[in-house]
Amino acid sequence: MKTVDVVHLDVCYGAHQILEEIAFSATPGEMIGICGPNGSGKTTLLKAMSRIVAPSGGEIYYNNQNMENLSFRMLAQRVAVVPQETAINFDYTVREIVMMGRHPYIGRFASESREDHAICDRVMRLANVSPLAEMPVNAISGGERQRVLIARALAQEPDILLLDEATSHLDISHQIEILSIIRKEMEETTTISVFHDINLAAYYCDRIILLKERKIAAIGSPEDVLTREMIRLVYGIDVLISTHPTTGRPYILPLYTYGMHDAMAGRVHIVCGGGCGTPLIRRLHQAGWHLTTGILNVLDSDYRTAEELGIPALSEAPFAPISEASSSLLMEYFEKADKIILVAMPVGRGNLDNIRLLHPHAKKTVIIGSSESFEDYTGGEAGCVLGSLIENGARVETSLDSAMLHLRKQTNSG
Amino acid sequence: MRYRGLPAILLLSAALVLSLIISVMIGPTSIMLSSIFVDATAYQIIFDIRLPRVIAAVLVGAALATAGSAMQALFKNPMADPYIIGTSAGGSLGAVASIVFLAGTGLHVFAFTGAVGATFLVYTIARRGGKIPVETLLLTGVALSMFLSAMLSFLMYGSGKSLQQIVFWLMGGFWTVSWNDVHVALLIPAGCLVIYLFARDINIISLGDEDAVHLGVNVEQLKVLLLFVSSVLAGIAVAIAGAIGFIGLITPHLMRIIVGPDHRVLIPAAILAGGLILLWADTFARTFGNEMPVGIITAFLGAPFFMFLLQRRIHA
Repeated sequence: MKTVDVVHLDVCYGAHQILEEIAFSATPGEMIGICGPNGSGKTTLLKAMSRIVAPSGGEIYYNNQNMENLSFRMLAQRVAVVPQETAINFDYTVREIVMMGRHPYIGRFASESREDHAICDRVMRLANVSPLAEMPVNAISGGERQRVLIARALAQEPDILLLDEATSHLDISHQIEILSIIRKEMEETTTISVFHDINLAAYYCDRIILLKERKIAAIGSPEDVLTREMIRLVYGIDVLISTHPTTGRPYILPLYTYGMHDAMAGRVHIVCGGGCGTPLIRRLHQAGWHLTTGILNVLDSDYRTAEELGIPALSEAPFAPISEASSSLLMEYFEKADKIILVAMPVGRGNLDNIRLLHPHAKKTVIIGSSESFEDYTGGEAGCVLGSLIENGARVETSLDSAMLHLRKQTNSG
Repeated sequence: MRYRGLPAILLLSAALVLSLIISVMIGPTSIMLSSIFVDATAYQIIFDIRLPRVIAAVLVGAALATAGSAMQALFKNPMADPYIIGTSAGGSLGAVASIVFLAGTGLHVFAFTGAVGATFLVYTIARRGGKIPVETLLLTGVALSMFLSAMLSFLMYGSGKSLQQIVFWLMGGFWTVSWNDVHVALLIPAGCLVIYLFARDINIISLGDEDAVHLGVNVEQLKVLLLFVSSVLAGIAVAIAGAIGFIGLITPHLMRIIVGPDHRVLIPAAILAGGLILLWADTFARTFGNEMPVGIITAFLGAPFFMFLLQRRIHA
């Protein structure tokens, strides 16, 4: 059974296309979260679904009935909307506002029945606003007013509830309170809600729709949709996805890097090991560089750092020599990189090839630390390789800071 | 709650009936009701002069208060009045055109046509793709009113001897009212009833257009209905008595303070109170004011009262 079926929905404002080919359906009791960056069309989607804006193409079905064929009254009996935040210019009491939810059921020449009053009382209890019943709606707090609007929506006894960031303006405790009321008290109702806060959506929703530039970028369970790649694609930021320790739902931690990617667009390969590369990897990542690293042994803490930050890292098993396949991949990475940074590190037989293969790219290589600061476990061979690298044009920087400075200068001048 | 306003409604009804009786007795000559059976002149004064005038004043007051309530809800703005969509400017222009070009022939018809025509023009200009956004409607109303006022001023500038008649008419009053006017004014109760039947929808549209759609109100249809009925109500009022100010603005305000914002109570209360206020304003004008235009009295009392309400609002 589908309570909501959106079929190839297009919405235009004048010549501007706002939504394109939106299609999804929902079942009774399901809660679907709509997420996406500002301007991706979230609110417009809800407006189209509540008949505030007319679609330019496609259809919306509620309980298998085309919305087009429903009168305003019939639509309001099936679909209720909780808006973002409403300023109410007249001093209605809370009870009067909640009773307005019964409007679609009351005839032109009739007034509220005993049953309407009973429903009104019940939903006010559910939304926890009974004590406010006789208060003017402008004299209560924003959180209380939002609960009143929820009660009004409940009074409509809808099959489908649409929330347009209904909790965005509230503090976290009120957000949780209101979303919990909806999940608990409206088990049969299909809820479709626009969320700003992805983590809130991940916790409360059965499925999530990610909108990007007018279209659905992904739809599915929070676990399936909220991946780091998808978030990067939709929001253009890097995040860590972890699992909430008590709810088991995906939890998104933004990395707070913003906007540097396109500005610099530099690609840097880092040759490191033994944990020596970690500070550099973190700093360059934070500054927005596209990084690759390797070859590292999978037990190396540099490898763990790279993995944690989602940086492509070439790897080998511990104590294994560098394989043919890995070294050809490494050469490819070297080729693609704008800059290669070699961090002073312990060098043994296992990772000597990392440096040796740098030879053709000496000119774009930056070495952090003098050749003396490398711990040489190769009996001098590493020193020779380094020496010839420097001779062939590799630049030596003494510290991480000066290396960063050099990188920035290079990119700005380029 | 609904019954919150019942005592106020009963009280207003009683006051209105009492006022009707008292006001026909008062005037430049006071007449006891009992004398109409013995004195033919007294009968004539009461039935041919005072009664139609008193009834017209009550109906016009009711019309303006109802239209004012509807416009305030439609515009979600307690400062709106029935003239906001060009009604008074259009009505005045029609009336003045009749005075200047036709020596006052068909003045009522011209005034009514001007009032309703102006509203229709505002509506047509503000309409976009089957919808009328209230902000556009409001601004269009203001702009068109200014334009019509300019035309009005132009007519007055060239009107010569009839200028005094024009000015007198513009200030608004009931001194020319006859039973014929009352017959026309009988459309007013019908208009008020239509608005009252939509009181619940009006409550909801006063929350906002989008909210009203969510709650099952056919918003665009309701707007057309409210604009049409309000402009007819205000148009009849303007045709009978000129553009009397402040009644349509103050009365809904005052009643909202007393009975609350629920239009199912507010509209009946405003109908009664609007009638009552204009009745006494006119009675005062013809008794003590030497037929001073009643618009002067309503503005004189209404404006300070309005400022008092604003003060209250700011302090609250």
